[in-house]
Amino acid sequence: MSLAEHRPELPEYLPGHLGAVPQPGPAGEIRLRVTPLGFARASQMLHRAGARFVTLLLAETPDRAIVGVFAMRGDLLVLTAPTPPEDTPTYTALGPWWPAARWTEQELADRHGVRPVGLVALPDLTTPDADTLDRSVAGLDVFSLPFGPVRSGVFEAIQFLIETGGEDVTRVRTRPFFKHRGLEQRAVGMTPAEAVHVAERIAGISSVAYALAFSQAVERALGVSVPTRAERWRAVHAELERMANHLDVIAKQAETTALSVGQARFQILKERVMRWRARLTGSRFGRGAVIPGGGRIGDGMSLRDLLTELDDFEGDLASDRRRFLRTASMTDRLIGTGRLPRALVEEYAAVGPVARGSGLSTDARHERPYGEYRRLGLQVVTDRNEDTMSRVLVRFGELSESLRILRQAIAHLDRNGTELATPIPLAAAGCAFGWAEAAQGELVIWVELRDGLISRLHVASPSLRNWALFDHAFPQDVLTDFAFIEHSFGLTPAGADR
Amino acid sequence: MLAWITRGLAKGRITTAYPREPERPADGFHGPVLVLEASDADRELEWCCPTAAITVDAHRRLSLDHGRCIQCGECVRAAPHRFVFAQRYETADRRREALVVGDTDRHAPSPGRPTLADQERALKRSIHVRHIDTGSDGSEEWEVQALWNPYYDIQRLGFFLTAAPRHADILLATGVVTPAMRSPLERTWAVMPEPKALVAVGTDACSGGLSAGDGETCSGIDAVLPVDVYVPGSPPSPIAILDGLLLAAGLRDERRDR
Repeated sequence: MSLAEHRPELPEYLPGHLGAVPQPGPAGEIRLRVTPLGFARASQMLHRAGARFVTLLLAETPDRAIVGVFAMRGDLLVLTAPTPPEDTPTYTALGPWWPAARWTEQELADRHGVRPVGLVALPDLTTPDADTLDRSVAGLDVFSLPFGPVRSGVFEAIQFLIETGGEDVTRVRTRPFFKHRGLEQRAVGMTPAEAVHVAERIAGISSVAYALAFSQAVERALGVSVPTRAERWRAVHAELERMANHLDVIAKQAETTALSVGQARFQILKERVMRWRARLTGSRFGRGAVIPGGGRIGDGMSLRDLLTELDDFEGDLASDRRRFLRTASMTDRLIGTGRLPRALVEEYAAVGPVARGSGLSTDARHERPYGEYRRLGLQVVTDRNEDTMSRVLVRFGELSESLRILRQAIAHLDRNGTELATPIPLAAAGCAFGWAEAAQGELVIWVELRDGLISRLHVASPSLRNWALFDHAFPQDVLTDFAFIEHSFGLTPAGADR
Repeated sequence: MLAWITRGLAKGRITTAYPREPERPADGFHGPVLVLEASDADRELEWCCPTAAITVDAHRRLSLDHGRCIQCGECVRAAPHRFVFAQRYETADRRREALVVGDTDRHAPSPGRPTLADQERALKRSIHVRHIDTGSDGSEEWEVQALWNPYYDIQRLGFFLTAAPRHADILLATGVVTPAMRSPLERTWAVMPEPKALVAVGTDACSGGLSAGDGETCSGIDAVLPVDVYVPGSPPSPIAILDGLLLAAGLRDERRDR
């Protein structure tokens, strides 16, 4: 049981001298108030106590405040430093000693006018220009290779400055935000029912996870409980989405070694999942299936059909997986490539299969179970070898786990209730975090509602958080390993840039 | 390696025969939204659409712009007697104004630019495609990539993916065109040799979709460059994109049944 449920007394694992005052808030969030001057000190104590950085944001409700979000022992710690409305919000920057906070902190400064004192700003991070390149390199006989934002092949826009002497990769600098569309701002003034369309389109390949985290934030802010049947359907759609994403990553790994049949086999498996989703929801990406208050179901596929398809699919997946893992030309490129020591992963607060491939059991479904996952026992799949192969093995393991969850959720769906959504109260106000485990990792969304309309939306996407770590994923790797390592992260620039 | 080859052969053929034979989606698919009843509409119908794709004019005539529609289904649920999801994949057209369906004052149809086949007959069976992401949500990339999977296998029709814009005949552009991607888009298009065609893939690329801005930012590809073929959809399915490619190449007759 979460310690958060025993409020107002603080969990005993919090540092003794934190100097924070507990505040009321929905279950699963521990809201703590500190002074703006004490914000950095409290964050540092949490860092030393082993908290994981999640995000930083400027909140307007209940009061205007700098908000730091951290995860610790499965709880979400929300550190709030109120700041008077007339002042420029100011606090002491966390980035200089906590690398995980750097990009978020600069976004807060550039996009929201917050002043983190001591911020080490990267030039044009939030307004990247493909033509202005930092040509300084670290070392002799090293050149910098700009890769992107127009990529070879069909990939999303992002730029990497790869420094290499020809073979060894000496340094990589990722430049995100080429795709910044201002979607968080776009949702302001919308009703939750409209804004869920925006949430689905922040990262199109994880539409269900985004709709889910957003909807759960709205439901928690307004105290709406979701029918059990809708929670089960949400788990079905979320696991199908995870399967499509993991199969996509594995197919791309096969493509990178020119293992054409292997690539085709995993593409076929992915396409099958996409077609089930189209039949279940009308959309190949499961759009419209998750809405605030519940969900919707289509009528293109019966549960019996889906179960039959799953049986057939599982056999094919097992034999393709066996062949994949026995193909030495494939596994040789993955084993030992892109090693990410566990300590580094913790320092950069990475999440999802990237973290689980380095032995961490970070998974929002397990740490703070939501919806159907409170009833299903989730087996968190981890691997300790810290390399690209580990991240692929984690994905294979999660494919099996998703199939198990699907069967369990479907078995329960057969026999209860027809109710699918609870109405969202009109003209209501509130604020809360919502979370979901996307295929890329833990996704956290902050929603503020005023008069029934969204007044603030903040997205802590797993892609942005994991990309900060990507720059350090080339300890002993060469230029031709780049694609393997990039695919093993399985991130989406759309989600990172928002 | 032999294991893979036998595995590939043992599974038989799954590739679609499209476009030789039509391909229809399974029941309940959310294809383009059709207008069933366009007269006597209330102004309030406009409010249900988050992207302002629905217009009711002074004569209470209803029209819907596929170039702005994100297929969210709000209108289908609000007025099921007026709007319905079509059970088809194809959405492409060469003229922006032709994407508006319902009762609308049709302008004299502009002829559009000549297709690749009109300009160069030799291009018919070997067309090289380059992709650029100008700020999509990421789903369009998946659907474009899917064209090279065994279900759609677009290479059988003579379409090849190329890494260099200098070798490309068709530029597939996805996304709203963010400020940072405007210059890369213009430069990629400028270095492509003539004849060439620009295909806007997805509602975001056609109009900006949900992130549409007021001016030139995030308002779609044609705010920056002239577009040859529009493929609306959020995202358009692989068959819809294939249809758009065939249209740009001049390998498909233009539909009259809108």
